[in-house]
Amino acid sequence: MIGISKVSKHFDEVQALAEVNLDIATGEFISIVGPSGCGKSTLLRIIADLVPTDGSVTKPKKGAFVFQDSALLPWRTVQGNVELLMELEHTDNKRAKAAVALRQVGLNGFERSYPHQLSGGMKMRLSLARSLVLDPEYILLDEPLSAVDELTREVLQEELYDMWTRDKFTAILVTHNIAEAVYLSNRVVVMSPRPGKITDIVDIPFNKRTPDIRTKPQFSKVVNDIAGKLRTWK
Amino acid sequence: MEIKKIIPPALILALFLGGWHIGALIYDMAFILPTPFAVAKQFVSDFEIIMIGLGLTFRAAFTGYVIAILIGITVATVMSLNKVLERSLYPYAILLQTVPVVAVAPLIVLWFGFEIKSIIIISIIISLFPIINNTLLGLNSTNKTLVELFQYHKTNSFTNFIKLRFPAAIPNIIAGLKISAGLSVIGAIVGEFIIGSGSMAGGLGVQIIYAQAELETALVMALILTATGLGFAFFITVQTIGWYLMRKWHESEMKGS
Repeated sequence: MIGISKVSKHFDEVQALAEVNLDIATGEFISIVGPSGCGKSTLLRIIADLVPTDGSVTKPKKGAFVFQDSALLPWRTVQGNVELLMELEHTDNKRAKAAVALRQVGLNGFERSYPHQLSGGMKMRLSLARSLVLDPEYILLDEPLSAVDELTREVLQEELYDMWTRDKFTAILVTHNIAEAVYLSNRVVVMSPRPGKITDIVDIPFNKRTPDIRTKPQFSKVVNDIAGKLRTWK
Repeated sequence: MEIKKIIPPALILALFLGGWHIGALIYDMAFILPTPFAVAKQFVSDFEIIMIGLGLTFRAAFTGYVIAILIGITVATVMSLNKVLERSLYPYAILLQTVPVVAVAPLIVLWFGFEIKSIIIISIIISLFPIINNTLLGLNSTNKTLVELFQYHKTNSFTNFIKLRFPAAIPNIIAGLKISAGLSVIGAIVGEFIIGSGSMAGGLGVQIIYAQAELETALVMALILTATGLGFAFFITVQTIGWYLMRKWHESEMKGS
């Protein structure tokens, strides 16, 4: 499980995060939504240990961080990029694991291509593949799908959902897109603007996700419900 | 390369040579402005001595250039790894650029003697700053997200440098090397001007001084063109290396984008 306790953050005089407490169960998918500047990205970076904090965060050892813009090395091929994090973490058997990971995201055959030759969706699949290949216990996702077009975005949401059900990692997703949060999550955390704090935690009542769930009235109701909570901050 | 790409610069060259030729004919004073043909003829008739000069200047400029590359990249790397050192050293790196090298050259010769060593040192001084500056710029402007990715995986600064910051800086490093390619030759010529020589058989700079004193203007121009060609050859070499390193991934070197 991931425990966030008494986490707060000041940037000089500005209080970015008020005291945040949150427990995330092992294998749970949590999304954090909130208006721009509510500190949700900062919270994710505090969990990742990229930003220092006064509070405390407990988390499993093996994790991965997926960034908004794929964060691929432009001078490395697809093969080189999918092996990057294994190199940094000194993982064995890189070749074989990379081959499996690329096949899982449908990038086999592109091993020798460079990132600039891939579409936005393929870049994100590569970014997800190089993280999953670490066999992480948790994954932090910072608006990973915000750079792709709407159709690709829904397909990638479905793929991400499949990865989660298959590999059973704990996931924390920061997103602007409420429907995305509802589609993927067990719980959606709603945050208020500066100083950022948790104002609501919404349980998502659906068990199995299939693409057609998006058109169901219950789905729209949950989405509108959360949108309503967010609107009060405008 | 396609013919279409060659036509515009070739046209400019033809216009330039034509204008020069007509101008020289109207002015009609060969010791002030010889025609392009006279320069070409001089180049052919003095080919052997010019090649000796080219060899000497090449040796000094190339040695200076290579040493400047090694020092420049090392200094920039040290500065990028240590902010205190960067703040302490960078102002002096700027002075390296603003010091009038031509004025300092006599001092260098005084200290290091009338020999190739002094020429090489002058070439190094003049080539160094663009390499330091561009390498430092490249090493300090690594994509922030990529820095965070490496930071998340708790890599040490050696790994950061080898796998991230240095490769990311290659486009800037090559840009710095391109600027310094011509400068290294300029430095060598300046050094040769100051040093002079007991005979005509010196580097290109020495020969220019001699030919100018003899009012052999066509020879001066042939020597200038040779020195220009030398700097150009350095430039093209670096350009080719840069193309080879970046052809697959960097916008500046990829076809059709």
